[in-house]
Amino acid sequence: MTFQEIVLELQDFWSKQGCAVVHPYDLEKGAGTFNPATFFGALTSAPARFAYIEPCRRPADGRYGENPNRLGKYYQFQVIMKPVPAGITDTYQKSLKAIGLDPKKHDLRWIEDDWESPTLGASGVGWEVWLDGMEITQFTYFQQMGSMPLSPVSVELTYGLERIAMYLQKKDSVYDLDYGGGLTYGDIHKPQERELSRYSFETADVALLSRHFNEWEAEGARLAGFGDPIPAYDCVVRASHLFNTLEARGAISVTERAHYIGRIRSLARKVMELYIEKNTPKEPAVSK
Amino acid sequence: MAKKIKLNDFLLDIHTEPFPARFVPPALGQLQVNAAKWLEGKLDHGDIAVSGTLRHLILTVKGVAPKGNDKTERFKGPKVGAPAPALEGFARKYGLNPNQLIPEGGILYAEVHSKGEPAAAVFQAMIPELMKSLQFPKFMTWEETGFKFGRPLRAITALLGDKIVPVSIAGIKSGRGVHGHPVLAKAPAILKDPAKHSSILRQGLVIADPKERREYLLKALAQATKSTGGITDPDEELIDETVFMVEHPVPVLGKLRDAHMVLPAELLKLVMKKQLKFFPVVTKTGLLHPYFVGVRDGLSSGNELVREGYQRVLEARFNDAAFFVGRDSSTTLASKLPQLERVTYQKALGSMSQKAARVEELAVWIAARLRQISPVDEQAVARAAKLVYADLVTDVVKEFPELQGHMGGVYARKDGESEKVALAVEQFYYPVAAKSPTPATAEAAVVSLAGKLDSLAGCFAAGMIPTGSADPYALRRQALGLIRIVLEKQLPLDLDEAIAHAVSLQPVAVPDQAKLSAQLSDFVWGRAQSLFEDMKYAVDEVRSVRVGALKNFPNAFLRLAALRAVRRDPAFDALAAAFKRASNILKQVKIEDGVALERGSLRDQADFDLYDALVTAEGAANDRIVRGDFEGGLKTLVSVKPHLDQFFEKVMVMVEDESLKKQRLALLGKLVRAFRLVADLSEIQASAS
Repeated sequence: MTFQEIVLELQDFWSKQGCAVVHPYDLEKGAGTFNPATFFGALTSAPARFAYIEPCRRPADGRYGENPNRLGKYYQFQVIMKPVPAGITDTYQKSLKAIGLDPKKHDLRWIEDDWESPTLGASGVGWEVWLDGMEITQFTYFQQMGSMPLSPVSVELTYGLERIAMYLQKKDSVYDLDYGGGLTYGDIHKPQERELSRYSFETADVALLSRHFNEWEAEGARLAGFGDPIPAYDCVVRASHLFNTLEARGAISVTERAHYIGRIRSLARKVMELYIEKNTPKEPAVSK
Repeated sequence: MAKKIKLNDFLLDIHTEPFPARFVPPALGQLQVNAAKWLEGKLDHGDIAVSGTLRHLILTVKGVAPKGNDKTERFKGPKVGAPAPALEGFARKYGLNPNQLIPEGGILYAEVHSKGEPAAAVFQAMIPELMKSLQFPKFMTWEETGFKFGRPLRAITALLGDKIVPVSIAGIKSGRGVHGHPVLAKAPAILKDPAKHSSILRQGLVIADPKERREYLLKALAQATKSTGGITDPDEELIDETVFMVEHPVPVLGKLRDAHMVLPAELLKLVMKKQLKFFPVVTKTGLLHPYFVGVRDGLSSGNELVREGYQRVLEARFNDAAFFVGRDSSTTLASKLPQLERVTYQKALGSMSQKAARVEELAVWIAARLRQISPVDEQAVARAAKLVYADLVTDVVKEFPELQGHMGGVYARKDGESEKVALAVEQFYYPVAAKSPTPATAEAAVVSLAGKLDSLAGCFAAGMIPTGSADPYALRRQALGLIRIVLEKQLPLDLDEAIAHAVSLQPVAVPDQAKLSAQLSDFVWGRAQSLFEDMKYAVDEVRSVRVGALKNFPNAFLRLAALRAVRRDPAFDALAAAFKRASNILKQVKIEDGVALERGSLRDQADFDLYDALVTAEGAANDRIVRGDFEGGLKTLVSVKPHLDQFFEKVMVMVEDESLKKQRLALLGKLVRAFRLVADLSEIQASAS
């Protein structure tokens, strides 16, 4: 099964489970959770069922295309469901079967792994799922966002696509994966990895990035003032990625780091509160 | 006419999504205790038992009576003759008329009779309360009712006899379905008899009883390693964890590549255990064998595939480890030292670099103190002390903090440091547990002592002093390590002095250093006490060697042993009593210092006899004591006993003649001091026999 076939199978599988297959969000981000389908989807009591592939950027993980297991840009396949359907762990096992991983022929383990995102003030309880010892999925019941308890809670599944593909194709290097279309993963991604690693570690303009961070933070607060959480949230995503790049570039000291995270978190919280306020049905006014 | 009552068994199986292994044993314990509490007095029953896995918490109650006990309860009310509204109100509360209240001793009582509820109703009420009573390390919610539990509920099997006990919790209705192993993905089996529950689970590849699962696992591990000639590394923690990580353990033997066997064995083992939950295979003598056993859950079909998968994951992890070792080895330990400036030790106590400097100074100071009595290689001590913390900034230790010290030793050898230095770095944190070994050489011991003294003094100086059971910086363990090292390495180091010196080196302002040092000495002595008590010394014996114990701890132990040996003498208790009398007299009067004892100023024969016997005994005892023969010394001193008895019998200490009184007090003082070189007998409690 090629890399793209895995993605297509998962899309097909979860679409049959009633998920809308939305698409990657068009901003750089560190994790699929940042896609508004999940970020906003988890916040209110409205039902949410989405599945999507999401490119993720982790500038600090870039290895110039030289490490067979580590990438500065890679993919996650993400599912979010609210309310949580009964038997979700069984459904997940069936999805593995759909991509050629029969749980009966493998060792499937659920290892405690709670999730936390200090930047989003978010946390969840769950597992990492091990297939024959390899972590292939993060399985999380969101409990809090913007430091507020969620009700009803959502379940988030994050598949590590490259790892699953390496396992299925028995490849020791991510770059040797058969992507589909007659190409390897390396054909498509190696030049990116090389140049983006150089950017993140060597050539990124620190002054420009810092300025942009300040500007997007201010812009987010300004936009929130107009009562529209969606453009304000885009600013959160941008600021967050700028922070990640600055950090990879070695431009943020330990003490500054906490300060940066605090700034993103407070903007994210403002956006969340705004979104909830705007999207919670108002109690009908009591007439006399 | 006695009727035979039919007793039923009750079963509750709480089926959940996978719990973390650490959640399950405490939850099972609570399930058992809380169920017993709930049923007590309400319903007659037989044995209560629990079992379970990461997906099942199971409670069984045998021999349950069909209905609960009838009860009569009495409630105290107003006085006889109280105003009518008060009487009515009280009676109404219990569904009675005022004329139904029972007067007794001028007080009215309400008597309420309640019929025992049917057993099913008792359990129906119990199940939700029992589930709410379980305390998990962390709770979560997952569905609309907001029920909090350790992991999401999947099913509740609740049967009394052949009948379902109906409950509904977090949207789950109880039933008779039994859920086997999830990879089988079959429809749940139907349970009609609680007694069949575990065998039905067993058919579904779930071994419900943890004890049975553990035995099954151990047998499987032994079986799996048979062909290799080795055994799985006996790691109780990993075994316990595995018991609650799988429901049906299936071992898979895999092989390590030779290329990886060049990595430090401890590192390889840790990667296998911590990162992958694999059991390393070792030879009978504990050396790492190039094999491992992974334990998969459930079936053994596709084992070949699983083995391949395990080996591939291990390969990637070992490659990471090799990469870290390579990076760490590209520079020497010594050259990493400046990086310690950026690592904070404790906010109040500065960086690791500052701590390292203190430890180095302290180690050199200790070595110098020992120079006359128990010399060590001072150069090696100084060099090792300089390097002990360097491995904290290595990639391997950042990834595996448990390997601190160990990796330092590995890298020191690579750097060409002497074996003495490398070993001292390696064993710097020894002893790592209460019964684990102390550093092997005197040099390693000195460096290790310096580290512990600095940690203790630093935390005390910064006010981080353990209280009650709270000991976040593990200072009790450090203190125990400290005394175990001086004892086992026979180091006659004056710990009181060393503590005071360590306190003086701390970078925080300490208003009263002497007081803080004394407090820390007492804290260290507290550990010594429990160490001795672990060795089965009596509390009073331990107390009697307190004075001066930390000045020479190996001697304190010898004194203790001497005391115990001499105590076997049947006459000992009487001596201790006489001794106590002597020291009580001394305590009552404040003995003024400087009253020189002169034989000539004494008066009676009993005075002279005690004086002469004491002088002779003291001299002989001292000869023995300086040679370390505390038992001989103590026995010699004990020989004055008849003279002491005579003294108390024949003369009065508190006589009118002030100068004679002082002389006699001085005589007793001399006696008490002589004994105190071994033990303060006034602490000894007479044996109960």
